[in-house]
Amino acid sequence: MGTLLLTLGWSTITILIYLAAKSFHRLLPRWWTAPLAVTPAVLIALVLLAHEDYSDYIRGTHWLVLLLGPATVAFAVPIFEQRALIRRHWPALLLGMVAGSTAAMLSAWGLATLLGVGGELRLSLLPRSISTPFAMTVSGDIGGVPDLTAVFVVFTGVLGAALGEGMLRWLPLRSSLARGALFGMGAHGAGVAKASQVGREEGAVAGLVMVLVGVMNVLMAPVLALLLR
Amino acid sequence: MSVITRRQWRHHRLVQIALLVLAWLAGEAIVRVSGIGLPGGIVGMALTLLLLATGQIQLGSLRRGAQWFLAEMLLFFVPAVLAVLNHPELFGWLGAKVLAVIVLGTLTVMAVTSVVVDMVLRLTHERATA
Repeated sequence: MGTLLLTLGWSTITILIYLAAKSFHRLLPRWWTAPLAVTPAVLIALVLLAHEDYSDYIRGTHWLVLLLGPATVAFAVPIFEQRALIRRHWPALLLGMVAGSTAAMLSAWGLATLLGVGGELRLSLLPRSISTPFAMTVSGDIGGVPDLTAVFVVFTGVLGAALGEGMLRWLPLRSSLARGALFGMGAHGAGVAKASQVGREEGAVAGLVMVLVGVMNVLMAPVLALLLR
Repeated sequence: MSVITRRQWRHHRLVQIALLVLAWLAGEAIVRVSGIGLPGGIVGMALTLLLLATGQIQLGSLRRGAQWFLAEMLLFFVPAVLAVLNHPELFGWLGAKVLAVIVLGTLTVMAVTSVVVDMVLRLTHERATA
């Protein structure tokens, strides 16, 4: 296939599947119909059926991934909108994010080692608890495979959003700040959507935590890379 | 241009999307010139925050564009997720182990984060009321 055809073809298919997955989720709103899970699953099936491989697919759709750049810039808006919340609760937010990020890295490293998962795969698992554009950056910095990290981020989001509700019932949490942080730190984008269903304040906190923890991890990545060397 | 059409123009989503792309390109340019080891998106975000905080740019001139980018972000990273096709080894026992790491790790992250936030909140609140 020519490059132009490849780009037009796979880009159109990707966008159409994405839009269809969103409509389907509106019709049947369950955790396993989340577009986050359905879109990649359908696309993988299509690429396999077409007997294409990933290098052809990504050549045609790479421009979409580039848009994660301006999407990162867009995170400035929720940060600015929630500046009152940051001023008021920065100690709890900061310590929660430091503890959460540390727990994310240590649990990934420890569990992976325990189960005999090593090398690039283990490194790619470390930043899976932060939002995709940040996670892929960190993964590249510390010697992981950014694309694999994107896969793990998706699984973390889908499973985290599904497990989070049960965690709320199980943990004796008293504040909406803690409930929001649980979803924002544990399941990033998918968690924010779930937290917004729990409450407006939970949703705002989750969104803020997701963004701030992403920035924090990117800024800390060079230090982490030194530690891992 | 009259005041009304100028305002409408500023609040158009496409214009705001273009503005955010511009901020990203500016961030990329700053990174290339200065050689700082940060992604252009992060630098563009810092730049945008600075412009918002100093009142150089109004929140209303960016909000709709930003909401669009954040709402559709899945579309932008879904092509990267298909990289799993290059890793057939993950469709077996190794994949199951990775899944276990993700599930147990995520439960740990959620518990630790929320309990720490609640604890800090209680401590700071108690000190404030004591």
